[in-house]
Amino acid sequence: MSLDTDLWWAVARSEEVTSKKPLSVDIGDQPVVLWRDHHGIARALEDRCPHRRAPLSLGCIRDNGLIQCGYHGWSYDGETGRLKEIPNMKDQQKFPPLYKANAFGVSEQAGFVRVCLNPKAEAPLSAEPKYSYIGTVNVSCSHQEYLDALYDDPALILAIRGVRFSPYIMSELHEEGGMLVMERSCQWHPLHWPSHFVAEFPLTLLTRTHPLTGETHLTLRDDAFNDLLHAVLSPVPAARGVTAVRWRAELGVRRPGLRGAMLRGVNPLTVLSSIDGSKLRTTKPTVSLHGEDLRNALLDAPQDTHDQTVAA
Amino acid sequence: MLDIADRPTSHDDNSAPPAGGSPIAMNVVNRWVPHNIVMRDSWFPVAHDYSVTGKPVRRAVYSNPIFLWRDNGVVVASEFHPNERVVRDKSDYTDARGRYPVMEHYGVVWIWLGNPLAADPRHLPSLPFLPPKGGLPRHMTATVRFESSAPISLENLIDLTHADFLHADVVGDERSDSETIETYYDSETVTMVRTCVNKSVAPVMKFFSGIKQPTQNVRQVIRIYLRSHCAIAYGRFSPGDDVPLFHPCTPETRDRTRMEMVMNTSNAGRMFSYVMPKAGYKVSRQDSYMTSPQSPRYMRHTDRKDLHSKFDQAGQRYRMAMMELADRQAKGDFAYRDNVSADCSDIIGLRKELFQF
Ligand code: FES
Ligand SMILES: [Fe+2]
Repeated sequence: MSLDTDLWWAVARSEEVTSKKPLSVDIGDQPVVLWRDHHGIARALEDRCPHRRAPLSLGCIRDNGLIQCGYHGWSYDGETGRLKEIPNMKDQQKFPPLYKANAFGVSEQAGFVRVCLNPKAEAPLSAEPKYSYIGTVNVSCSHQEYLDALYDDPALILAIRGVRFSPYIMSELHEEGGMLVMERSCQWHPLHWPSHFVAEFPLTLLTRTHPLTGETHLTLRDDAFNDLLHAVLSPVPAARGVTAVRWRAELGVRRPGLRGAMLRGVNPLTVLSSIDGSKLRTTKPTVSLHGEDLRNALLDAPQDTHDQTVAA
Repeated sequence: MLDIADRPTSHDDNSAPPAGGSPIAMNVVNRWVPHNIVMRDSWFPVAHDYSVTGKPVRRAVYSNPIFLWRDNGVVVASEFHPNERVVRDKSDYTDARGRYPVMEHYGVVWIWLGNPLAADPRHLPSLPFLPPKGGLPRHMTATVRFESSAPISLENLIDLTHADFLHADVVGDERSDSETIETYYDSETVTMVRTCVNKSVAPVMKFFSGIKQPTQNVRQVIRIYLRSHCAIAYGRFSPGDDVPLFHPCTPETRDRTRMEMVMNTSNAGRMFSYVMPKAGYKVSRQDSYMTSPQSPRYMRHTDRKDLHSKFDQAGQRYRMAMMELADRQAKGDFAYRDNVSADCSDIIGLRKELFQF
């Protein structure tokens, strides 16, 4: 898939990027290697050594913060991608500027490491806190199908402890500040009545999705307008049509009683690592169909309406 | 960055450079798509002689099916399994009965892939450190497979700087007082000689040959027979042992490689002679860790050029020589312009006295 090169993709959680071992991720068809240098700064290069194309992620991170290819040991600087050292040529100090791996833009905020294929792109600012419930899954489903599943039936891709998503929507997908926003009615689990006979729903799930990256902020609210749960879900298109999903979540207002306790259990949010194909294929595209028109309208509109600073 | 001697084997300064005597042209080197190189009219090593018995075993060269068995002790190489209900056409590589030209030499079974009428033992690569009639103990042989194209594996072999790094735990790291690399070539072979003075001792020799000194002088030779995708890797270590290795990279398919390895350690210490051939398993896994992911990245042409260091000159020469030969074959010229079966002892610097058969 061809991707807008100025987008920032949350390809890793902060915990996953270390100076112990390089991390291999993708942005679409582009393999990316991530690591943390000796100053603790996250770095991203193309995961392909320009010498003989070996993946740099099979190499190691040196004490001086350089990444070293595992094949012939060439070492690269993470900020510029420039070649700094060849093992048998230790006395050679400088290599021509052409001797470099492709470097990408990196920005780390709120517990996510975001990478932009354009190293000159400006990183979005985020005022978000770093949520402490975390997870990573790789789902074998395309990026757009994944988002469509989220719109049409969130239960296909995630679960919130003690909560059941209903098919009834309080607000259909619409544009708000450049984001695709919708709100779905939810019930506590176990149910008292099937959702079609319910007069008042006790909960809603509000989702705000960036129209291009699909990065989504979820808020679970009760009928007193208390935020019970916040989460950020970041689906990134990866190799072979897989969608790599990183997420972070935090409980909001403490809800008393049994239901609150249930929500507060081990991990309030679960993002599923696979989608049930038989459910997926029979899920009617309703919100997603509408979402497609909306997204197209949004993308045709002047650029600043989907400024990514809003997303992050 | 390229400043290392690189010269044709039979080139004297007054004569015109022979075919393949061109200077390394980087634009050619960077057009390298090893998966597109398919060689024919060549002997390919397909099995250790002991693997071929009465019961047919299956091999392949460039996906061409080969069944090997013995008929009254004589090796047969057929395109068809004896029990096969034949529903496909016979290829042009076999005779009327579907048999490939086949020969046994150096303890290895070779098949000729190409025009069967052109098959000639004179085109069999010279391997002067192996007994012509075979018979080395089995522990000196091994079969190793690579998930990469054969030329990728051979490029790996002729590029010895990776060894100091990737195989440092077996062969020692790159530290030495001096290092020279020379490359010789003709239209059928590329030979690289690397000489290191006072190099860190190979750990495998430290442990199994009892070398006490911290450094040793090393002379390593890699000689590649381009068409057959066969290589000789010959290390002379002093103090230490003489370790010649037959390192074929038979292209079972364009991106899967089979190596029927033979390492003649008859002259080394007893322990070492057992251990060293086994080190091949470890070394090959280390190589595979890099060449398997590397190989698919060479399957299609890309305009992005590989970067090179002065240590890559032998590898560049290998790429060029392969492409020249492939170009000639594409034009229908399958003739040998150089003799691959002529004894190469002098070229590889073999201590003949140690290898008398
Ligand atoms: S392929 Fe990375 S150093 Fe050679
Ligand atoms: Fe190797």
